[in-house]
Amino acid sequence: MTYTIAAMPSYTYAVKAKRLLAAGGYPCEIKRSESSSSEGCGWEIRIGGDPRKALGLLKSRRIPFTLSGGDEEWS
Amino acid sequence: MELINFDNAATTFPKPPSVIRAAQEAAQTLGGNAGRGGHALALRSSEAVFSARETVAELFGAEPENVVFALNCTHALNLAIHGIMSGGGHMIISSLEHNSAARPAAALAQEGRISLSVARVYPDPDRTVESFRRLIRRDTRAVVCTMASNVTGQILPIGRIAELCAGRGICLIADGAQACGVLEVRLSGINILCTAGHKGLYGLSGTGLLISDGRFPIKPLIQGGTGTSSASLIQPSLLPESLESGTLNIPGIMSLKAGAEFVLSKGIANIAAHEEAVCRAFLQELGGFDRVRIYRSPGADHVPIVSFNVEGIPPEKVSAALSEKGFCLRAGLHCAPLAHDTNGTKNGTVRFSPSVFSRTQDAVRLAEKIKEL
Repeated sequence: MTYTIAAMPSYTYAVKAKRLLAAGGYPCEIKRSESSSSEGCGWEIRIGGDPRKALGLLKSRRIPFTLSGGDEEWS
Repeated sequence: MELINFDNAATTFPKPPSVIRAAQEAAQTLGGNAGRGGHALALRSSEAVFSARETVAELFGAEPENVVFALNCTHALNLAIHGIMSGGGHMIISSLEHNSAARPAAALAQEGRISLSVARVYPDPDRTVESFRRLIRRDTRAVVCTMASNVTGQILPIGRIAELCAGRGICLIADGAQACGVLEVRLSGINILCTAGHKGLYGLSGTGLLISDGRFPIKPLIQGGTGTSSASLIQPSLLPESLESGTLNIPGIMSLKAGAEFVLSKGIANIAAHEEAVCRAFLQELGGFDRVRIYRSPGADHVPIVSFNVEGIPPEKVSAALSEKGFCLRAGLHCAPLAHDTNGTKNGTVRFSPSVFSRTQDAVRLAEKIKEL
């Protein structure tokens, strides 16, 4: 399964997003960002499968995120 | 000698066993730094802290990301007052405010950074609301109002004051230190709720809450590590981390979560009913004893707090005499000189404040001892 990475502004928002997505049936997990971006340390959510509806759900709940990569094999 | 605590308005004691267990378990298992590293210990702590935010959010009708953990209510009020008034403007506080709100407000005014007005509170809620309304100006940025006086327990018409603020762009900062846990407090209409964790929410000392509805940006009073945007020297602006620089008090936060769960499981109405019954028994036993003056205004509603004086004996002496008999009551100004100006009790009072664990028979015994003074 491929996945999409959404960079989250904080752990708090990462958990909020994860719980919301999990409740909606979207497989996801929280990871510490593997490489520090220009922003520095951070958190990301890896969302499995087609991300469009999942990301739409985050937007509808005004959860801030930035798309930061993905399309790699879900492990 | 058994010590009986009737100073629960300062700090509830004893604590529920679940609260003590939660703090102990946190000290034993939540050793990671929440919101920082990505290793298993840190993630475990981070999950636990978020879960505590959810519990608090449920209790007050807020979003978990708008729940900020503070050291105490004073800390939360300072965060709110300095954070909202950083751009200057006019602020109104009530005449029953604790120094936790009155001093930061006075300090800003003394430095010429804001202008400050004090709205007199009356037993009649209509007059109190009118008092606030008359002071509102075009440049009024915030109203700070306690939900219940820590001296007399008088409940303020916060809902009606919220209506005054809504639509005028005025931020309402509510001090819920004496209300949370005994009144059904919801964030509705209140923009920022500040409260203690160690009073009616039964958490350990060193815990407090700032809960925002997200409508007013709060400029951080202190800056530091948040675990986010760490490449930047500029403090992040997103709650809750923006106001939580530095390592969190995780055992305290978990005790607060357990305390909030305790309150939810007992039911706020049941807790209030019990404490009011204890107050009634105390007042009934003192009834007809001419040397005691009770400071409760007819026409006003009160949380379960009773302030009193004994004729001819300074409040501190009354408290000391009762302490010798095992009863712990606070005397003096209760850090609320404005309230004493308002109530005409410049020499202070003795304050009786039960908790959900207080027993009616102890309140009756206390009243008997007071009559012997």
